[in-house]
Amino acid sequence: MKYLTNVFLSAALSAIVATAADAKIKVVATLPDFAALAREVGGDKVDVSAMAKPTEDPHFVDARPSFVVQLRSADVLIDGGAELELGWLPPLLQNARNPKLEAGKPGRVEASQGVRLMNVPTNVTRAAGDVHSLGNPHFMTDPIIAKTVAMHLAQSFAAVDPPNAAFYDANYKKFEATINARLQEWGTAMLPFKGQSVVAYHDSWVYFAHRFGLNIDLFLEPKPGIPPSPSHLAEVIDKMKAQKIKAIIVEPFHDRKIAEKVASSTGAKVVDFAQYPGAFPETDSYVKLMDTLVSRLAAAMK
Amino acid sequence: MKKIVLVTLACGVVAAAPVRSAEPAAGTAPGGTTPATAADVEALRQQVQSLTTMVQTLQQQVKDQQATLERNNSTAPSLPQDPETPSAGVTGSPAPAASPPPLFPTTDSTVVASAPPVNPNGTTTGAFPTTDASVTATSDTGSALTQPIPIIGGGNNKNYMNISFDGMFVLAGSSARDLYHIEVGDHDPQQRGFNARNAEIAIDGAVDPYFEGFANIVLKLDNNNQTEIELEEAFLQTTSLPLGLQVKGGQFFAAFGRINPTHPHTWEFVDTPLVNGRLLGPDGLRGVGAQISWTAPVPWYSQVILAVQNGRGGTAYSFRNPGDDGVFYARMTIDREANALRDFLFVPRWENSFNLSETQTVLLGASGAFGANDTGSNSHTEIYGGDLLYKWKSARAEGGFPFVKWQTEAMYRRFEAGRGLDDSFPVAETFDDWGMYSQLLWGFKKGWVVGLRGDYLHMQDSPFTDDFTRQTRSRISANLTWYPTEFSKLRLQYNHDVLEENEFFAGRDVDSLFFQFEFILGAHGAHKF
Repeated sequence: MKYLTNVFLSAALSAIVATAADAKIKVVATLPDFAALAREVGGDKVDVSAMAKPTEDPHFVDARPSFVVQLRSADVLIDGGAELELGWLPPLLQNARNPKLEAGKPGRVEASQGVRLMNVPTNVTRAAGDVHSLGNPHFMTDPIIAKTVAMHLAQSFAAVDPPNAAFYDANYKKFEATINARLQEWGTAMLPFKGQSVVAYHDSWVYFAHRFGLNIDLFLEPKPGIPPSPSHLAEVIDKMKAQKIKAIIVEPFHDRKIAEKVASSTGAKVVDFAQYPGAFPETDSYVKLMDTLVSRLAAAMK
Repeated sequence: MKKIVLVTLACGVVAAAPVRSAEPAAGTAPGGTTPATAADVEALRQQVQSLTTMVQTLQQQVKDQQATLERNNSTAPSLPQDPETPSAGVTGSPAPAASPPPLFPTTDSTVVASAPPVNPNGTTTGAFPTTDASVTATSDTGSALTQPIPIIGGGNNKNYMNISFDGMFVLAGSSARDLYHIEVGDHDPQQRGFNARNAEIAIDGAVDPYFEGFANIVLKLDNNNQTEIELEEAFLQTTSLPLGLQVKGGQFFAAFGRINPTHPHTWEFVDTPLVNGRLLGPDGLRGVGAQISWTAPVPWYSQVILAVQNGRGGTAYSFRNPGDDGVFYARMTIDREANALRDFLFVPRWENSFNLSETQTVLLGASGAFGANDTGSNSHTEIYGGDLLYKWKSARAEGGFPFVKWQTEAMYRRFEAGRGLDDSFPVAETFDDWGMYSQLLWGFKKGWVVGLRGDYLHMQDSPFTDDFTRQTRSRISANLTWYPTEFSKLRLQYNHDVLEENEFFAGRDVDSLFFQFEFILGAHGAHKF
């Protein structure tokens, strides 16, 4: 028992010493895209970790106890604020007991703040599948929205760590300038396909489509979260043939075989897409991920 | 509504104006039978002039109205609109321009992809727009951070509480006529045929900045289809204590092991494990009391929990439980009041969790339950438990699948069985009972899970205590579950039970088949790991 107590005390002490030694602010993001932006804005003044893996379905992440440990000592929590993490974040927060992360505190960034969510259902019924009552929560694939989120991060970091406020603001401005410049390239690359349709496995690309003038409103899932059925796929294949659709985008956690089957009977190409930086090699930043998405889609639609 | 009326009116006037002005033009054409006089032309011109002014006034009004509406609704747009679409683009009414307006709109940015929208902030950075006021609110100040999320929607998450209803039913077939002797849990199927043993109303929400509240009210139908109601849980819990502390108080499940603190609809099998049903009790170990828990500031997850409950009644089965008709383990029970602190039920638990890898998590726990029991005036019960959970989930999981989950719990109980009321029972005995279960679940495909469970329960044989619940027994269960979504479930399960012979009961084998179906309505709280 005495031994145990000693282990406990020394572990606690080392944790305290470690915190004091590097005064970085500890940022926890529910999803890897928020984490990527936090790294842009926070630079070497923040220590960022993400809970969900870039390759997994963000709707169903296990509330692993290790996340409680992350949240317990976090200075800032970034979540979507649009019910995407509804199935796993609340019990973690309940167990983390960290008053800094309460909604409304500067240490809590709800990324959808200031974003006009699309596809807000007028009538919420689960008969329509996995519908989010606040609107489509996959908003980070629009770079213009990403800039707004980055701005909120800079404000939050500045409030939590005032001595470095100018640093965060400068990083945000740098990120904004990068996005503004890249938007020209991405916009140019996507321009030839303006108005064309693309099929997606799940309805998570509405913001991307809106930004680049694409129509992504045909899905392999008959309803959000409901697995593809043969009759629905037959319908999709007919529509794809009629509209001459050239690309099907799938995310790492989707059943690629289904998309390949549809592709082979329509002549379309399967394009590996992801919402989260880090899902593919060489996509560890937001800009790199968008580069990859735009170039992959443009190549497939040529 | 007002906006639409005005727009319609404006359009009507615009449409009417050119028609009228066209008439005199036709009239002045060569060969006209009634050549217009200069006065007529002048009159018409004035009329057109006044109509044009009127149109412009109305348009201005429409614009003003829209601006007001936009300002008021800036928190609730249903769809993002391109910045150039408000007013002119959507309504089709011509913009008040110097040049004569077109009679019919030739562009409509809402149906075809339009030219890049005008940058509303004026800071043009190139051909492709880099800002879009339609997707983000007007540039915020820091104060936005302390405001509620300015996103739209019907505000479906702005309720004071979440409320949900869970209905769970089982169709049972069994070689045993007395299924209620075979199944050990109160929410398990109790008869051949249909069973409705768990219809549950769950409520939770923030009470105020300091507390959260939870309530679970369970309705069940007995074998005569009479409704029984129980206040399964109702407690409040602190949200903002410092130092990683949390306190809860009310009626709640004791945090003993993995299954005891959870509700039946989260269980991976149709029925309660033998060891839970026979040592902690058919209803689970729960009661009125208070609990404090502390997450230790160590680099892994480590939580210490201590609950104190009255430990009285049927939901404190191994403790101050008077038993059915005042008999427990064949003894006439003494309905003991709490005379000392040790008569209460104390339930400590320590749990630790760490990740073996990015995809593998382990959770280890040790629990205890200590208190008095009603079989003697000074008899006590001690229960010790250990539990292990291992879970692997794919890094490319969709909907939480695929996964492998292995869960095991073992318990030992030392039960001092006294001589009952007025020493009416011939002997005092001490029972050393123990048991365990181990279950393996494999979610092999989105929505599909197969499960295998082994159960063993050793009840110390006694030549004096004639009670069917004290038979040593084992069970093997296999099942297949389909979750169409996380709100519904269909499950088929097979059980093979072996009850061993003891002093009073013959041994027997029982085969059972269960088909379970369940639905959840409403906002149901997320589940813990």
